[in-house]
Amino acid sequence: MLSAFVRAFRTPDLRRKLLFTAGIMAIFRLGSFVPVPGVSYANVQQCLSTSASSNDLLGLVNLFSGGALLQLSVFALGIMPYITASIITQLLTVVIPRFEELKKEGQSGQAKLTQYTRYLTIALAVLQSSTYIAVARAGQLFPGCTAEIIPDDSVVTIVLMVITMTAGTGLIMWMGELITERGVGNGMSLLIFTSIAATFPGQLWSIGQSQGFGVMAVVIAVGLVIVALVVFVEQSQRRVPVQYAKRMVGRRMYGGTSTYIPIKVNMAGVIPVIFASSLLYLPALVAQFNDPQSGWVQWVNANLVQGDSAVYIVAYIALIIFFTYFYVGITFNPDEVSDNIKRVGGFIPGVRAGRPTAEYLDYVLTRITLPGAIYLGFVALIPLIALVLVGATQNFPFGGTSILIVVGVGLETVKQIESQLQQRNYEGFLR
Amino acid sequence: MTHADAADAPRPGGDASGEGGGSSPARRRGAEAERPGPGARLVRFLREVVAELRKVVRPTRRELLTYTSVVLVFVAVVMLYVSGLDYVFGRAVLWVFGGG
Repeated sequence: MLSAFVRAFRTPDLRRKLLFTAGIMAIFRLGSFVPVPGVSYANVQQCLSTSASSNDLLGLVNLFSGGALLQLSVFALGIMPYITASIITQLLTVVIPRFEELKKEGQSGQAKLTQYTRYLTIALAVLQSSTYIAVARAGQLFPGCTAEIIPDDSVVTIVLMVITMTAGTGLIMWMGELITERGVGNGMSLLIFTSIAATFPGQLWSIGQSQGFGVMAVVIAVGLVIVALVVFVEQSQRRVPVQYAKRMVGRRMYGGTSTYIPIKVNMAGVIPVIFASSLLYLPALVAQFNDPQSGWVQWVNANLVQGDSAVYIVAYIALIIFFTYFYVGITFNPDEVSDNIKRVGGFIPGVRAGRPTAEYLDYVLTRITLPGAIYLGFVALIPLIALVLVGATQNFPFGGTSILIVVGVGLETVKQIESQLQQRNYEGFLR
Repeated sequence: MTHADAADAPRPGGDASGEGGGSSPARRRGAEAERPGPGARLVRFLREVVAELRKVVRPTRRELLTYTSVVLVFVAVVMLYVSGLDYVFGRAVLWVFGGG
């Protein structure tokens, strides 16, 4: 297996792609350290060290940005604005007829939608960066830390900071697309993966130091079990058999083979978890910039910030199930698949071609997705269980959201490398 | 599990016959129209879920082991790489901005 990794680097084509991806990741990390102009780096470091367990709310965002947010760096916003923007455009395709038309248009419509997503990302980045800077200026980013983070808070400096952070988000967006295009794996998820991977070792170490290394070993063991579980479910699939008719083309016989359509139990991958968690943090974010005395702000703070309130759990699971069905509905179109089967002369044994086939696929899909959605919700709630058992923090290293993303993206990327490896020689890692 | 099999087997045929009418919103509700109550429908749905779940192909033990270890190796490699980068960049940024 290790030799397969070596072989991946020996293949010139693949080596270029891997190195390209690694290079982008390096730039991404570098940007997460370079502070935004106008920020006092020394003071931020001082505040970071004094208030180690800082703002609960920003924990998740900080996780997604790989610790860049609290450093107030150029890439402080990470890919969060892009994620939010893509959720919004995906949802809008259902609501706005024009968007739906664009989506059905195929390639060119899809390009247009991507463009809208990008504009929206920039708008959201402006919004988020100005709110963060406002929080930082008011000294709320590190509660209890008195050092001035932004010594010179003139309008020019503030505007400069907002522009820098927005530009950083734009750059991240571009880099993600570059990875998708010329590197390996999906750029966006790989960048989230990088951010999470960056915070893993440090968190593990801090658990080891504060709770003893026995607990750390237990945590690692639990993590391994969860990884195996996630791999198990990701690899499980319902195979809908498809039989191809034999036919003569000229003097040759074609077809007559039987294959299957793989319908994964969790067809949606990690997207629902990312969507649900980033959507759930929005009310808390909004609440932070409103009057803390008003009733709804207090309700939000009591129920939607901490992961251990009943409202949070219920909302989280409901959102995950909703987004799982939603995303499966977007990505897998039974009508299209049944059309394709019909066109190449195939059929599902016992089901008539055309509409009945589409309905059968839909039937299987809606039923097989339910366990998938429940599984996603369950894994995403693991940090909560850990919270009770070990007393770990909210962004527990083997927390559900992060472990799902890490394993999901890892599996996807390895498979892509594998398939490229197989184009050259027939042995990959996954035998 | 005769129930599970029974729920699945007549399925395609039932759909096809309901299809002839051509009424579009009927879909799978057509088969259940005679059945009363949302509770019964839910139970039926859950039974169908179980029936589909039984047909899921699970990865073999060997497959599971290879995939898991490959993912672990990959994640470990990326984690080491990123930690290395972080260490270097952290030092560099501290050196550049630390004085100010």
